[in-house]
Amino acid sequence: MAASRGRRLLWQGRCWFSQTESAVPPQPPDSLYPPIVASATAKSKAAKRRRLEHFHQRVHAAASIEEKLRLYGQLQRPKYMVYPQTFALNADRWYRSFTKTVFVPGLPPRAAPAAVKALGAVAPEAAKAPVLAAGVEPEAAEAPESGTAAPGAAKTPEPSAGAAPYLDMGELRSLACDALLQESFYQNKKRPFLYRDQEHTPGPFLTQLVSTLAAFLCGRNPLLAASSLDLKPEVHYYWHHGEEVVVHGHRKGRVDPVRFQIDDKPHLQIRVPKQLPEIVPLESDLGDVPVIDHKPSKLPLFKKQYENKVFIGSKIADPCCYGHTQFHLIPDKLKRERFIRANLEDQIEVTYRANGIASLFAWTAAQAMYQGFWNEADVTRPFVSQAVVTDGKYFAFFCYQLNTLALTVETIQNNPRKNICWGTDSKPLYDVVENGSVKGFNDEVLLQLVRFLLNRPKEL
Amino acid sequence: LFQGVRQAQWLTKTKLVEGLPPSVLSIIDDPAHQLEDHEERVKRVISHARLWDTTEAIPRREQYCPVLFEDLIHLCRLMSVKYSSLTKRMLARNYKIAATWERESILLQVRGLNGILMNSMAPIPPVASKEEILATEEHVLETFYPISPTIDLQEVNVYQERNNTGKSSCFRDGYPYSHPHTVFFLESANIRPDRFRPEQLRAKMLMFAFGNALAKAKALYGNDPKVLEQPIVVQSVGTDGQFFQFMVFQLNTTDLVSSDGIKNLVWIDSDQNLYEKAQCIAEVKKRVVTKPAGIYGFQPDTFKKFLALYLHGTV
Repeated sequence: MAASRGRRLLWQGRCWFSQTESAVPPQPPDSLYPPIVASATAKSKAAKRRRLEHFHQRVHAAASIEEKLRLYGQLQRPKYMVYPQTFALNADRWYRSFTKTVFVPGLPPRAAPAAVKALGAVAPEAAKAPVLAAGVEPEAAEAPESGTAAPGAAKTPEPSAGAAPYLDMGELRSLACDALLQESFYQNKKRPFLYRDQEHTPGPFLTQLVSTLAAFLCGRNPLLAASSLDLKPEVHYYWHHGEEVVVHGHRKGRVDPVRFQIDDKPHLQIRVPKQLPEIVPLESDLGDVPVIDHKPSKLPLFKKQYENKVFIGSKIADPCCYGHTQFHLIPDKLKRERFIRANLEDQIEVTYRANGIASLFAWTAAQAMYQGFWNEADVTRPFVSQAVVTDGKYFAFFCYQLNTLALTVETIQNNPRKNICWGTDSKPLYDVVENGSVKGFNDEVLLQLVRFLLNRPKEL
Repeated sequence: LFQGVRQAQWLTKTKLVEGLPPSVLSIIDDPAHQLEDHEERVKRVISHARLWDTTEAIPRREQYCPVLFEDLIHLCRLMSVKYSSLTKRMLARNYKIAATWERESILLQVRGLNGILMNSMAPIPPVASKEEILATEEHVLETFYPISPTIDLQEVNVYQERNNTGKSSCFRDGYPYSHPHTVFFLESANIRPDRFRPEQLRAKMLMFAFGNALAKAKALYGNDPKVLEQPIVVQSVGTDGQFFQFMVFQLNTTDLVSSDGIKNLVWIDSDQNLYEKAQCIAEVKKRVVTKPAGIYGFQPDTFKKFLALYLHGTV
């Protein structure tokens, strides 16, 4: 090395000599030659690695988040379209493996400080410990409602204000019943279109219920007062997970990442300007992620090539860039009666779970991407969102915490973090509506819905 | 309607008053009835509807008009923090109205599947004083001879004279939110010829407000034509995503056969701009950004009027 350098010096002549005289640094000089790296255009593994590195650096150095997202989804190749609302059998296991999610039955207990309950204990709603007496409890407004099982008013001790405003169950129940009766009984509508029952009654009922409840509760939850309610928004997310060999075509034989895209259309969505607090710490391990040896196309999943979109419901400039709650309506194709007729009762819960997991993963991951994280720059704080999946009568509640976005082959190897989804089974809100009254109204479900809407960060 | 509001006035035996009634204006002026930093929030709502809502670069009117409306209603509903009786409102989408009346020996009918109706449990108190109502007696309805007042109206064989609200028959008895409060019209067609022009939109709003009020009057007081002791007030808001038309209609009489006597009253505030222009993509001339993306020419008063109409009747 030194000999060749010396030869170079003599060869170049005087002017170069003088330049090196003046530019000699006190520390050991860096190599005068450009760094020796693999070629950028050769057909070799090293060259491919270098191109990948270059791409990663481009995305890291992108000027704005729009630019980052554009570069992230620039290369269009055939990808699997993942539908959150699917008839596929045991779809929730598959979706959990695609998104590296652990499913914990029951909802996370929010009464006590989160650290205590981090071990994934099954927590049915009724067991939210009545910590009314705990004056030390600084926040968590959901806790108090569970204290009284009586159908009357339940107390909500406000941390800052001295007074304790009542959360009137009767009032809430009447709001819910009014919405239900209006849509199903009082407003006489034409017969529903064929196979479009869901948009005839349960759809409008859900919209009415959520909008009136949100307005009613916004006094209690200042986050709701600053929220944005979207009707039928779109949520998109694109990611890579795993590897496969290209089967046919001019790229046959090459090893490619498996690409997925979720295009979701929830019925209703609440977006807020502040993030919901984390439920468990970032590195918690609450269970196992299922490993499925088959190709995703066996689910069945089908490939298509189109624009790689990442979208939470509105563009990046919107200040309400964090998600609060989504509401999904199960379509007519996936009604309970159909499953029962086909002798697939156990798949009913699977549909709800698959919908919850896939939609919430897409939403939280898109929120994380809007903040600049991606699979090479993993999230530094967990992203939490909630969802309610319903078919008009049966409600299932889901809570999702996104701990990691790094699902590609290179990044998943040393990544111990897993995403976590808590969820309940579907429970009916009422039994039947007849003659202008609602029979068998279930307060627990409504209470859970109210708790979801009242969820907010600790500072508020 | 060809002649627009004038024709609608003749058909419904109404006197027009420009501007909004004093009770609504008092709500606008009262600072207690405003949201905190509402200008900022309304601007954000407009930006959301016009700029941020879709993955496409420029949302179309069919998209942004309903979104804008929903967001404005959401903002108004948040006022129920202060006034709990605001929760006693219910929005009915896809509702149908049917009302019939006779006007100088012509049988007229309003039927339609249009708009969104907001019902409330309590009626809006009458807006005009008794003197004003009596003063309408002297007012002469304008006619526009030689154009017949029924021009542009569809002639239909009516087999059932229906007077109902709700689809195909009334909202069933016992409906707790029985008073029509406001009717909202969204002109959201993409192409301009599919949309109503402002004049026609105002006429349509008047006809439907009248139809609702008439149906309610007949439900409350029976089918005989008479002067109402308690006038019925129905409001109406029409928008195409940028311009708003506000209307307050008071039904004083159901005696519509003759052209004299007490008339009904309508207050109209037309062509209120919520914002001048919504720039989705920044305008760049010769590589210099001349007009960055955003909302220009925001008018806070229009939203104040919208909110005042929403709060009218409960404050």
